[in-house]
Amino acid sequence: MKHKQRMAMCIGLALAMLPAAGLQAAPARADYKKLEKKYEALQAQMATMARQMTAMQKQMTEVKKEAVAKATMSEKATKAEFRRLYKKVMAASQRISELEPGNIQVLIDGDVNFQFIHKSGSASTFYADASPLIQVRVDKHIFINAGFDFYTQSGAAGGAQADMGAANINYELNNYMTIGGGLVSSPIGGIVGIYNPAPWNRWLVDGSLEDNLLPPNELGVWTRGGVPAPNNLGYFTYFLFVSNGPALASTAGSPYNTLTYGNWNPAAQNGKTVGGRVSYLPIPNVEVGYSFEYARPSADGAIRTSNSMVQAVDFNTYYVNKKIDGLVRFRGGWAWDQVGQGVIPGTTTFAFGNMSDGGQIEAAYQPSMCGIKYLDRMMAALRYDYIDGPATSGFPTPGHEQRWSVGLDYWLHSNAVLKFEYEFDNLSNAQHGNDAMFVQFAVGI
Amino acid sequence: MNASQYNRGIRKVIIAGAAALGIVVMAGCAGTPTTKSAAVTKKPAGVWPLAIQDPAAHESGAQIWSENCMRCHQLRSPAQYTPAQWGIIVQYMRLKAGLTGEQAKKVLAFLKSASAHQD
Ligand code: HEC
Repeated sequence: MKHKQRMAMCIGLALAMLPAAGLQAAPARADYKKLEKKYEALQAQMATMARQMTAMQKQMTEVKKEAVAKATMSEKATKAEFRRLYKKVMAASQRISELEPGNIQVLIDGDVNFQFIHKSGSASTFYADASPLIQVRVDKHIFINAGFDFYTQSGAAGGAQADMGAANINYELNNYMTIGGGLVSSPIGGIVGIYNPAPWNRWLVDGSLEDNLLPPNELGVWTRGGVPAPNNLGYFTYFLFVSNGPALASTAGSPYNTLTYGNWNPAAQNGKTVGGRVSYLPIPNVEVGYSFEYARPSADGAIRTSNSMVQAVDFNTYYVNKKIDGLVRFRGGWAWDQVGQGVIPGTTTFAFGNMSDGGQIEAAYQPSMCGIKYLDRMMAALRYDYIDGPATSGFPTPGHEQRWSVGLDYWLHSNAVLKFEYEFDNLSNAQHGNDAMFVQFAVGI
Repeated sequence: MNASQYNRGIRKVIIAGAAALGIVVMAGCAGTPTTKSAAVTKKPAGVWPLAIQDPAAHESGAQIWSENCMRCHQLRSPAQYTPAQWGIIVQYMRLKAGLTGEQAKKVLAFLKSASAHQD
């Protein structure tokens, strides 16, 4: 039995091992076929991939070619595009900066002027003033202007004085109109308030006699602007206002005993004044202006007159030409102050009811194109001015005063000037008034 | 009628190109003598350190400037202020000179481009 059992085990083992030994030694035909198919499938896959690769490569080179071509070809177009975009960005940033709060721009300038004055009949004196001007661009439409005047005061009062020349807010309504309010140089008479209030842009040192008849500034509201005339026929400017009115100068010795323009005394203003100036420029070098100011003034509330009317005409012109080797300027104006009659309270006595007038004409010549060093910076100036006050005025002696002034300026810069001036003064009832000499150094900053 | 037509109309009255005129006066009384010869040529490019980028675009601005801005005082060189400062000044001078908004815009564009300074 033992032997039978051993035999059976051996046969069993051998049978169990058979399949493994059979595979290694001799693979079945079916298996081979299977493998072969797999190989063929792989080969086919590889071929498709290779085809795809070449197609892709082709595409790549084409794209590359196109890109290179585009890059070189479109330089011009790109520039145009860039410029268009740049403009857009700039316009947008401009709009933003205009809208943005905190974008207020301030400029402080003004002028400093220093003078030596010698008037016959009084002691000579040095004089200085500094007039800072604060200009604020709040935004595209809103502009603020504040000006001060600090100056030395000669005589018994002595010391330094301060004044305010401007404090105003302006709003640009549209292309042709700005509205404003506050304290502003008066446009009446044109010459001082419009053309040249600052010492650096005048060519003579002393103010003119006509200035005595005109308000230096207005405290009120206004509208101003410029409008082209139809058919290319020139240009108009206007400046119309309602402001605190003048008062009557009732004290003896007041200049010309007519109107005083303080702006500050509410008791002396019976209501407001209405006034303005319009000018016409047939060409930019020539301007003619007319101004008026109507009021119902009173003297410290005591004397009240029916009305007062100030009217003035002015002109301003310049001409630059090589033929005259440079620049000539002419400027002039005349003003009439008419004050209605008033009754002194508690009496039947009439006061005022008078008329003053005065004016000036000035000329300047600068041989700026003569080509001669130093001479091209010289400016010769000449002025005639006149005033005629009412007989009852506080004017030293009734009658008129007229002056001739000659000046020589040296322009160190467009805004820095050294001036010499001599004034010949004549009173109608005397041979001589107070001739005067001035030396001034003025710098606009 | 608009501002540029107006300016074209008066062009004859002004001699030798408006911008040149202003500069000549400026050079004569204010500028350095060397700028004078450059000033009489039509191109202001050589006069100021920063050339006008596009002279045609600013021609009317330069013209309005040279004709109007010396009516009351000597012309002040564009180089005296920065573009931002000119923005403030022109807003003020528009009032003084009675310019239209359109004219002021053109003058400002010109002054800014001719200013030697950068903001
Ligand atoms: C109607 C007269 C007038 C005209 C026109 C005029 N200005 Fe002026 N300008 C003045 C006066 C007056 C001042 C002095 C400022 C003051 O006292 O309020 C001045 C001052 C200036 C200043 C000194 C800085 C300042 O703002 O105070 C500059 C710069 C200037 N003007 C440039 C110009 C330019 C640019 C133009 C042309 C758009 C021009 N002006 C046209 C009257 C004028």
